[in-house]
Amino acid sequence: MSAAKNEVPNKRFTIGIIISAAFVIMGIACWVAQLTQGLHLTNLDNNNTWGLYIVGFVLFTGVAAGSLLFASSAWLFNGLAQFRPYTRIASFVGVIGSVIAAGLFIIVDIGNPSRIWYMITRFNFTSPIIWDTVILGSYVIIGIIFTRRLIQVSKGVTEEKSVKGIAIVAFIAGLLVTVTSFIFCIQVARPFWNNPVQPLSFLFAAVVVALALLLLVFAILRTKKYIAMSDELLNKMARVIAIFLAAELLVVLSEVALGLYAQSGEDVQLIHWLISGDGAVYFWVEIAAFALGMVLLLNRRTAFCMAGAGASFFAVLMVKYNLLQTQLLNPSISYPGLNGRSTYAGTAGNIAAGAYLPSWIEVSLSIGIVSLGVLLVLLGLKQLRLGDTVQQSPPQVDVQIQAKV
Amino acid sequence: MAKRLGMVIDTVRCQGCHTCCMACKIENNLPDDNWWNRVVMVDGGEMDTPVGTYPNVSMTYRTMACQHCDNPACVKACPVGATYKRKEDGIIVQDYDICIGCRTCMVACPYNVRIFNWKVPEYRINFDVGDPDVPKKQKSIVEKCTFCVQRVSKDLKPACIDVCLGRARFFGDFNDPDSEVSKLLSTRRHYQLLPELGTKPSIYFLV
Repeated sequence: MSAAKNEVPNKRFTIGIIISAAFVIMGIACWVAQLTQGLHLTNLDNNNTWGLYIVGFVLFTGVAAGSLLFASSAWLFNGLAQFRPYTRIASFVGVIGSVIAAGLFIIVDIGNPSRIWYMITRFNFTSPIIWDTVILGSYVIIGIIFTRRLIQVSKGVTEEKSVKGIAIVAFIAGLLVTVTSFIFCIQVARPFWNNPVQPLSFLFAAVVVALALLLLVFAILRTKKYIAMSDELLNKMARVIAIFLAAELLVVLSEVALGLYAQSGEDVQLIHWLISGDGAVYFWVEIAAFALGMVLLLNRRTAFCMAGAGASFFAVLMVKYNLLQTQLLNPSISYPGLNGRSTYAGTAGNIAAGAYLPSWIEVSLSIGIVSLGVLLVLLGLKQLRLGDTVQQSPPQVDVQIQAKV
Repeated sequence: MAKRLGMVIDTVRCQGCHTCCMACKIENNLPDDNWWNRVVMVDGGEMDTPVGTYPNVSMTYRTMACQHCDNPACVKACPVGATYKRKEDGIIVQDYDICIGCRTCMVACPYNVRIFNWKVPEYRINFDVGDPDVPKKQKSIVEKCTFCVQRVSKDLKPACIDVCLGRARFFGDFNDPDSEVSKLLSTRRHYQLLPELGTKPSIYFLV
């Protein structure tokens, strides 16, 4: 039987590269506008001070962490050994592409990116932002080492045993995505975030978004014959996504249930805003995405699994989006002042304005950043030849010819 | 001994006239739409709105600015140390030249008293007002009440204190038992905002 082709016809990559490059240019233009005119081009304000960019950062840090967990698990646990040929793609796409995306989401969100080197020269070790930077930085280093080692193993340069060490490091690093939840859950100012389920929720979310993205990548590369992957393996991934999606849904529903039971107090105001107030549309869309994701992922057909993966990614995006806006638009002190969006409004600020919807600049810039990740991934897949090991095994044809002779 | 500077605000006397807010805005040359000190209604629903059913109505104003906490959440959260608590008097200051604009301090503050310059600072008055020692405002950084550190350095009180028409605002050193603020706390009932969070604010409200 013929081995799967290691290279997709160049034309397919080129089209993808051109399209994503176009979106990247659009993103850069948006960023220049934001840098010169200020962040008022976003729909953020002094109450709702973090929005789509931080959601993007959380998601892509999760993709990086989950990809490390997936890639390392295949080498550490024999039950997952069937996934080993695909770990090069996971390590490259998931880790390198996502770390770039996550880092860029922060760069575009902060007001003075030119001063970001202060985080190295005068860092404050009690700040969770510094912890996040260390974690993300370690993902870059581990991702590069891991991908390189896997490529060497696939070329036969190094033994498979040498992967175990870096795989253990990668696994632990992946679990440390829980640290990225601390920027939220340690804030005493934010009771909706200030609970111990957040580290777990971030871990579940990381597994969901990473596996969902990788499932889409593997399924697409499979149709382009870049890799060969059985339906059974794709379905296995889909089922794991469904399980962790269910775990994340349990977290969401528990928070809602706790808030509803009390009938009064600060939690109740938040939950009522979320499920029946200005945030209701966003919440019920999130629940629908959860339901759709789980139903589609448990179906055997590839197209349904892909749609389910997309729905799961979107569900987790909404979870983080609602986590942010529910708390930020419902601060602990909400005394009214003068109306309007100016800071002279009360601490309730512009809550009358309803929920948060990102501006066009925010959306376009976010698309630009994701497109940059896609562009790097496409370039990597094209140049590095990360297809599965089937192509690298020695050809059997020669032996047969010699035997005949 | 180091000072622990703070304010005492008498909510019985406060009429919500906004004079302290204006004095702050002028003294610190604040850009348009930036206010470091604000008047808010307690439970009234809207500005200048009483609570209750006539004739049993009451109206309480509160002024809110940085609480200059003893256990500040914002100082811990800043990744580059742009905001810090001064050891000599406990004022929490913001260094505009270091601030990277990540707004983590704004997320960490339970009182929502920090503001971010979303646009290039604009001024309706086309000349500078207030104290020339006040640092120039920049785009994309966080600012907040500084207890008029430029005045405190000259042994003056913050601009919002003596302009108060109702004589409701007091400023001083809580580490000095003979100061006006310490005596007020020992003789009048008072409360603080969100004390259960453990931030230990330096602003007390008299009832």
